[in-house]
Amino acid sequence: MAKPGKMNLQEAVAQIPDGAMLTFSGFTIWRRPMAAVYELIRQGKKNLHLVEVNGGTHSDLLIGAGCVKIWESCWIGHELFGKIGANLARRAEAGEVIIEDYSHVQILYRMAAGSMGLPYLPTYASMGTDMLNPAYDHLRIAGLRDGSNPKIPKKKYEIVSDPFYGGELLHMPAANPDWCIAHVQMVGEEGTVRVEGQLYSDSEAIKASDNVIIIAEQIVSEEYIRREPSRNLIAGHQVSCIVEQSWGAHPTGCFGCYETDGSFIQNFFKKTRSQEGLDAWVKEWIHDIPNFEAYLEKIGITRLEQLRANPAFGYSTTIKRGTR
Amino acid sequence: MNWDTTLAKTGEFKPIDLLAVAAAREVTDGDVVFAGTGLPMLAIGLAQRTAAPTAVCIYEAGSVDGRPVSLPTSVGDARCIYQASVASGLFDVFNQLQRGVVDLAFLGGAEVDKYGNVNTTGMGKYGIVPEKRLTGSGGNSDINGLAKKTVFIMVQEKRRFKEQVDFVTSPGWRIPKWPSGEMVPKKEVYNRAFRGGPEAVISNMGVFRFDENGEMYLDTYHPGCTPEQILENCSFDLNISRVRGETKPPSLGELDILYHQIDPEGIFLP
Repeated sequence: MAKPGKMNLQEAVAQIPDGAMLTFSGFTIWRRPMAAVYELIRQGKKNLHLVEVNGGTHSDLLIGAGCVKIWESCWIGHELFGKIGANLARRAEAGEVIIEDYSHVQILYRMAAGSMGLPYLPTYASMGTDMLNPAYDHLRIAGLRDGSNPKIPKKKYEIVSDPFYGGELLHMPAANPDWCIAHVQMVGEEGTVRVEGQLYSDSEAIKASDNVIIIAEQIVSEEYIRREPSRNLIAGHQVSCIVEQSWGAHPTGCFGCYETDGSFIQNFFKKTRSQEGLDAWVKEWIHDIPNFEAYLEKIGITRLEQLRANPAFGYSTTIKRGTR
Repeated sequence: MNWDTTLAKTGEFKPIDLLAVAAAREVTDGDVVFAGTGLPMLAIGLAQRTAAPTAVCIYEAGSVDGRPVSLPTSVGDARCIYQASVASGLFDVFNQLQRGVVDLAFLGGAEVDKYGNVNTTGMGKYGIVPEKRLTGSGGNSDINGLAKKTVFIMVQEKRRFKEQVDFVTSPGWRIPKWPSGEMVPKKEVYNRAFRGGPEAVISNMGVFRFDENGEMYLDTYHPGCTPEQILENCSFDLNISRVRGETKPPSLGELDILYHQIDPEGIFLP
């Protein structure tokens, strides 16, 4: 078992080829690998195939920047800070990105099956909905379920008789993304991963993927992270490489470290509802600056300090959130 | 009861307050409740501080029975797990849902039809190039499919209360059975996992429930509205013959809890 290599962000992201199937850590606007998403855009990746349990600011940006061809998931938006994923909506309505719709459980079980090394998992979830309508099986209609891509199952789903207790069940095919990019609080120098707060679907996404880039707020010694193994989520042999990048999930939040930067996301949502707006935003925040350090300098220490989590709660107690 | 139960008069509360209070009244003490972002968070918080102190709240990102001292703005928020019994993930809490643990769920939607089918995926013609894309399903369809009861909180508009929704994101009482697409009772499709379905829809104009055939009827109308006005804001043939009268307004105590304990920062309450 090789020790996962320590890399910088540019080197880690450079490993991902155009056309790769990709998934991420986190949930909607929490613990998304934003620094890596900026770097994917800076490196001009093309035709990415996203398979994610849910979307958020990271995937809407990646799609808006023209890096994505297929998006398989169940939801995209920015929670309170933007009702829809406006970039996905615009690109899908223009026929530039293919959406394949699932429910949360359906896509989660695809990832879970992948993480278990199984070809599919059964579920009752969301039967009788248009996610199962053959007219909306978009990958089939686009001719992509012909078996030529081993990462795309020949069927979106199958309804199968329960051989044990009677009735019918939905079988969801496994997803095994080529790459998972996960942002976490802590990783040991041999790749042991610690996630704090809600675990979302990180375990399933990491274990289902062929290659895993772990970006951590901090890289610590293995001796330290192994003092309390029950707090750890993933062993190093399931990790390909590790990157240290503090604030690397900004503007999404990171439990115990910092708050979601709501006004930043709201501003992104407002400014990027047109392609011109998105292009200007990408120029300002990605192409016109050399790297993520310059991005953090642009945000500024005052703002970052406001976002910093209070250790008693795991979130910021100083940021103004509402109207009062 | 240690809160003021005097009912507020018209003008002393906002429509959003009534929505939160009406939703909170759907919670029975001891219920395991799945709640989403926004009004559902206000409703479960209010219920736990009034008539349902032992109700357990699960958020789909993985928090179980949190006791937040500060209102979360999303189900993934760090605030959800303050004093929680377990901070886990989606696989755990959705498995609990599939197992039949969830008594009640609060959900939202962009469109609803008379059987309680809900659309959050797209408006207009859907397909490989959609006419107008919305957020997608998220957990809406799973939760509406597998909880014992669901309550929808929605904006009342003619274009949102439809004979047929443009996309069945979330299953109501009568649903298509794929691959044939034939409309059948939900029980037939869900077989062993059938537990119930939409219990109520609460809009800014009234409270709607579903009859023996799974069809929506008007139960109560909010103060300041009439059943006729509600008919005008509904594009299917809504049954108003069973209406019980006016929706009970919020009490002064409930308003005090909402504004001073649950959302003192003014995140969802303006």
